[in-house]
Amino acid sequence: MNGSQGSKLRLWSCAAILGATAAMHSGVASAQYNDGKVFLTGGVFTVDGAGGGGAVPWATITGYETRDGINGGVGYTYANLPALQLNVFGGAIGFYDRFELSYATHKLSLNLSNLDTVALLDEILGLGLGTDPWNSTLQMDVYGAKLRLFGDAVYTSDSWIPQVAIGGLYKENTTGELVRTLGASKTKDWEAYLAATKVFFPLSTLVNFTVRYTSANQIGLTGFGECSADGCTNDKEFRFEASIAHLLSKNTAIGFEYQQHGGNLDGKSVSLAGGGLPLEGLTDLLGPLLPGVQTALTQEKESDWMDVFFAYAPNKNLSFVIAYLMLGNISVAQDQNGFYMSMHATF
Amino acid sequence: MKLSKIGLSLFTGAALLAASVQPAFAGEQKTKPILGIPKSSLDDFGGAAGVHAWVESLFYYIMLDNRISHIFREFGNVERQIALNTQLEQMVLGGAVEYQGASMSAAHADLGITMTQFNAVVEAAYNACERNNIPYKTCNHLIAALAPFTRVIVTR
Repeated sequence: MNGSQGSKLRLWSCAAILGATAAMHSGVASAQYNDGKVFLTGGVFTVDGAGGGGAVPWATITGYETRDGINGGVGYTYANLPALQLNVFGGAIGFYDRFELSYATHKLSLNLSNLDTVALLDEILGLGLGTDPWNSTLQMDVYGAKLRLFGDAVYTSDSWIPQVAIGGLYKENTTGELVRTLGASKTKDWEAYLAATKVFFPLSTLVNFTVRYTSANQIGLTGFGECSADGCTNDKEFRFEASIAHLLSKNTAIGFEYQQHGGNLDGKSVSLAGGGLPLEGLTDLLGPLLPGVQTALTQEKESDWMDVFFAYAPNKNLSFVIAYLMLGNISVAQDQNGFYMSMHATF
Repeated sequence: MKLSKIGLSLFTGAALLAASVQPAFAGEQKTKPILGIPKSSLDDFGGAAGVHAWVESLFYYIMLDNRISHIFREFGNVERQIALNTQLEQMVLGGAVEYQGASMSAAHADLGITMTQFNAVVEAAYNACERNNIPYKTCNHLIAALAPFTRVIVTR
């Protein structure tokens, strides 16, 4: 019931974004259509849907519009990590280089043999963990809005004042059982961020700093907050993020990103029956059969995310990003480092 | 025939007068980018001749761009615009050159330039750098030096 409503909403969101971008493209809003921004200065498609780098939202407004009009685009991102595959599809529209609306939907496939063991037991015992013995999948929808407050990231080369924007994201994880199995408190929550972006022309470099107020576990893919035997908490905190992009030419950039993460689920055992039943009972049972199962099902310390990227925009309608992600420990999996590819089509 | 000749000479006289009088009124100052402009910038552009060649390419690309060519065409006397721009660009790059044109604010006050049109000129500037084999990094020093004029050029 809940799941089908979620997927309906997702379908509607996809349809709305495609419809809106198609409408802009076909000229329904041609009076307001604008693509006058300089190359890559609108940023690309982040996993949150907002305009920015790969994971870090920037203060720039998405799309190629200037203050004179509207522009937007759709993006698709695929990350292939040893035990995880992330698919993100979404879109964003920028209004007058001032305001931005965005949407992204995530599918994170978990190929974790230790979690699959739990899933097999779940299937046999009928515990309702939200796991699947073949491929447990986490899903999330992200709705975002961003408002540029002041400053010009590009042209104020005689001032240290950056472009500054505030943004909000509402994240709705639609795989509640699995998120609770992993020990999170909430499946839906909001985040807020403040971003400052500046282009330093003499260095051919863009620098962005973002502070995010959030309680997310792995950007919300494994929920928000944590639950333990003492109860549940969902305390937001400020986390720091940064992007540095060096332009090799007007349409090619290389760079580095950093995103601080929290530690809500650090050291927690994958728990059964929505957090009410920690895994100890099961591991006691399984212990003699499968030595080491308890440590294998204890979640690692959540790592901060880092990546190095290469971005190329052959023209204003298309950009590609290839990155190497260093996401470290994700849930019960270690060393989740691997390749990332993202495409962003703008209209 | 005679009338048009008189008209032309009157126009030329007025233009010369304007050109000679403008610096006394306003002129333009060198901008002050926060990270400075390297001393070698002008040489990296190929000196006065290099800057002149770049400005000629700039106008070539401007005149090919339907979004902005009409503005420059209506303004007239492209040769003079190229000469003045060559002076301006040398000055902002640190050259000991007197810019004899009007201030950026005076020259653009009545044109109602949009950000889209300004960005189109910036795109033409990058195209001109590529055409003249000026490295991207060198080109960005000129962009940094000209960028602060955005405030007075873009009035809409």
